[in-house]
Amino acid sequence: MAKVLMKGNEAIAEAALRAGAEGYFCYPITPQTEVAEYLSKRMPEVGGVFLQGESELAVANMLFGAASTGKRIFTTSSSPGISLMQEAISYMAGAELPAVIINIMRGGPGLGGILPAQSDYFQAVKGGGHGDYRVLVLAPSTVQEAVDLTMLSFHLADKYRNPVMLIGDGMIGQMMEAVEFPDDYQEPELPSSSEWAATGAEGREARIIKSLFLDPTGLEDNSWKLDRKYRQMIKEEVRSEKYKISKTNKVLIVAYGTMARICQTAIDELEEEGISVGLFRPISLFPFPEQEIFKEATKANIKSVLTIEMSTGQMVEDVQKVVQGKKPVEFYGRTGGIVPTPDEVKEQVRGIVSKKKTSGKSRKKT
Amino acid sequence: MAVDNKTVFDRPVALRDVVTHYCPGCTHGVIHRIVSEVLDELGLRERTCGVAPVGCSVLCYNYYNCDFMEAPHGRAPALATGFKRMRPDMIVFTYQGDGDLASIGMGEIVHAANRGEKFTTIFVNNAIYGMTGGQMAPTTLQGQVTTTCPVGRDTSMTGQPIRMAELLSALATPAYIERVAVHHPKYILQAKKAIRKAFRLQRDNKCYTLIEVLSTCPTNWGNTPGEATEWLDDNMMKYFPLGCYKDFQEDDSGS
Amino acid sequence: MLVSPPVKKSNLPIFTRRILIIVGGYGSGKSEVAVNLSRHLVETSGRQVAIADLDIVNPYFRSREANQALEALGIRCINPSGGEFYADLPIILPEIKGAIEHNDELLVLDVGGDDVGARVLSSLGKSFQKDSYEMMLVLNRNRPFTSNVSGCIRMIREIEEASRLKFTGIISNTHLLDDTDAETIASGYELAKEVSNKTGLPIKFLAGLAAIVESDEFADPDVPVLPLERHLLKPWESAD
Ligand SMILES: Cc1ncc(C[n+]2csc(CCOP(=O)(O)OP(=O)(O)O)c2C)c(N)n1
Ligand code: SF4
Ligand SMILES: [Mg+2]
Repeated sequence: MAKVLMKGNEAIAEAALRAGAEGYFCYPITPQTEVAEYLSKRMPEVGGVFLQGESELAVANMLFGAASTGKRIFTTSSSPGISLMQEAISYMAGAELPAVIINIMRGGPGLGGILPAQSDYFQAVKGGGHGDYRVLVLAPSTVQEAVDLTMLSFHLADKYRNPVMLIGDGMIGQMMEAVEFPDDYQEPELPSSSEWAATGAEGREARIIKSLFLDPTGLEDNSWKLDRKYRQMIKEEVRSEKYKISKTNKVLIVAYGTMARICQTAIDELEEEGISVGLFRPISLFPFPEQEIFKEATKANIKSVLTIEMSTGQMVEDVQKVVQGKKPVEFYGRTGGIVPTPDEVKEQVRGIVSKKKTSGKSRKKT
Repeated sequence: MAVDNKTVFDRPVALRDVVTHYCPGCTHGVIHRIVSEVLDELGLRERTCGVAPVGCSVLCYNYYNCDFMEAPHGRAPALATGFKRMRPDMIVFTYQGDGDLASIGMGEIVHAANRGEKFTTIFVNNAIYGMTGGQMAPTTLQGQVTTTCPVGRDTSMTGQPIRMAELLSALATPAYIERVAVHHPKYILQAKKAIRKAFRLQRDNKCYTLIEVLSTCPTNWGNTPGEATEWLDDNMMKYFPLGCYKDFQEDDSGS
Repeated sequence: MLVSPPVKKSNLPIFTRRILIIVGGYGSGKSEVAVNLSRHLVETSGRQVAIADLDIVNPYFRSREANQALEALGIRCINPSGGEFYADLPIILPEIKGAIEHNDELLVLDVGGDDVGARVLSSLGKSFQKDSYEMMLVLNRNRPFTSNVSGCIRMIREIEEASRLKFTGIISNTHLLDDTDAETIASGYELAKEVSNKTGLPIKFLAGLAAIVESDEFADPDVPVLPLERHLLKPWESAD
């Protein structure tokens, strides 16, 4: 298929259709509303379900009900709306239901603002709802990658029968880029949802889709069963990308999403100044590329690891954990909708390179 | 509809042969039985999915013999909406208590009813939070004692009990809303008739139907099953009058 | 900061009407065209130029982001100030009505996308005097809903209905951002000509990245050309 120019939000919507999504439930919130507007036109064309619910609370539970039919379903929202969905996400994880949830993040806490941010990392990666559960979290950095990862999300949700969350800062949803949809999209075969979905008890035992286990041993069993899936994800679903990583690197930047692209520009420009910097970009945030980061960060030529985020410092805690104190882990962040510029990134790197001793985490002061 | 009254004591196929956890004198069990009989009689069991609430009937999925989902507290109408939209060929019902439906889930029930979602709600109103041990519900009567209004509900502080059948009947879309009771055989027949009609309308693709069932909770009301029946008669029946509040035949604007 | 490249001035569009309304499909490149057009007007007309951002639909990448650069060129920018600058609130400043009704400056209106964005024109409708304005459709062939003639005509109809104003022309602005080449622009121009033939709306000008339309390989179309400098950049892009 030829390239078309699409906004991230529209591209995500179209990608979901191409991946076979049959149901979409939503509630308007900037900066992701274009997904809903696009699908309000497109879903009827492909005979799927489009429904604007009365709140994100209801929407997430509609998703829960719709997921129980075994069909591919999804929702999109932005930070405050995703907070309201956490209850249902926990229930879906507990009941082992596949669902795709897309968070086009804006600045918080609270109502915050509408501009891009990456401040929902903890919420996405560390839980957000209650209980021993995880969601698989993917973070695209281009519109094309948003397309590819959206399609992948549906596959992974079905593979693990677990919610998958795709998080992109507002820029990913709002920016326009040329994208291409695969002509003959194919996925590895998976067991049919008719093995577990509620489809009516004709000719079989009635099925119960639930996360309630009053007997503590039953609940513990379920939690360990879920945990085995999460271990499998850690084994099989780590995704990342490296940019200009080489033996000459003095600094290793760790950044994801839009932030990683800004760092690429900074790295190219620093190269011209004779400062060699590599970028490690996690694509899956859960599972986090722990071994990969450890390997790159602890190489002898690396003086310091610099984590850059559009937040006051969330992923950096995971980077610190992974690096285990073997190298200093510095942090630079802007938040509230302010996006660090390549110049700001360069300044941070220059500071690290010129410093005799590095001092650990230095937060942005304003 | 051919109903063989002589076989009324046989267990319906849609009800499992298990002992329920409900207290003696609790009407949840009776309501389960009626709904199961209707599913059998209309031949719907094999294409039905129920939605269990959080409340005393949280385990009802173990008692019904059809596919079931267990919803978060109050959200059963949202699950039912999502399910039915994806599978319009199936029969879907929510089974919800008064705390679940009229308090935490007020938003979901009003909007599902107003969208005319094509599922049926069995709303079990016992004027109290049964499961959590007898706290005040939105339907608790004026002066009624609960663990969170130990000197009786003070309506000057907490408002008057909510009449859900009436409230939802103010919406233009729903097809059929009726309030029934089951604490006496003479009411049971009417209740079954109403529940059957609700499922029949759903089967015929008519939009939202809700049957409110006045129910007892002797355990948390603090009385014997006999006293509970009397209390329901003397108090609840007065404030929550039985009857049909919205009927598809009378007003088909919601078809 | 803006650096003017040498442009083929003789070939640039000339307007006799005072108000230039830039509308089009969502994401067609309206804001970029509006900003460049304002700059062209201030450099060539000798008159005071104002630009108003009427985009109440798109919360990011609005023409108001180019404010500083435009103001440095002496263009008056009519935008909300303070926090409202960044809001997704439908803010239409009273100043805009004033600028439409009685003013002798040239006014460029950058309107939000699709019929939804164009609806704001309807609320300003009575302010527009007959023959005082040009309303031009920005056409990008690579956008999903304007990739063929029937899609473009549907959009024209929907926008005219929502805005209660009539189009007076078309701006051919087909691009694929960084992936644009001369071929891209030419194929878009072909579609614009077809739409023009079907609707009777003239093509007012063709807009395209300066680096391409000013190169020798680019075959001059038979309409004026507005070379575009990109102002609405992504955070990792630089202006050169
Ligand atoms: C989010 C949430 N809040 C509170 C509870 C605790 N809770 C369980 S059941 C219940 C009330 C149920 O009352 P009702 O719906 O009237 O059902 P009944 O037990 O009377 O049949 C509450 C508050 C919960 N499970 N989830
Ligand atoms: S507590 Fe009340 S509602 Fe719950 S089972 Fe016992 S009697 Fe029934
Ligand atoms: Mg109750």
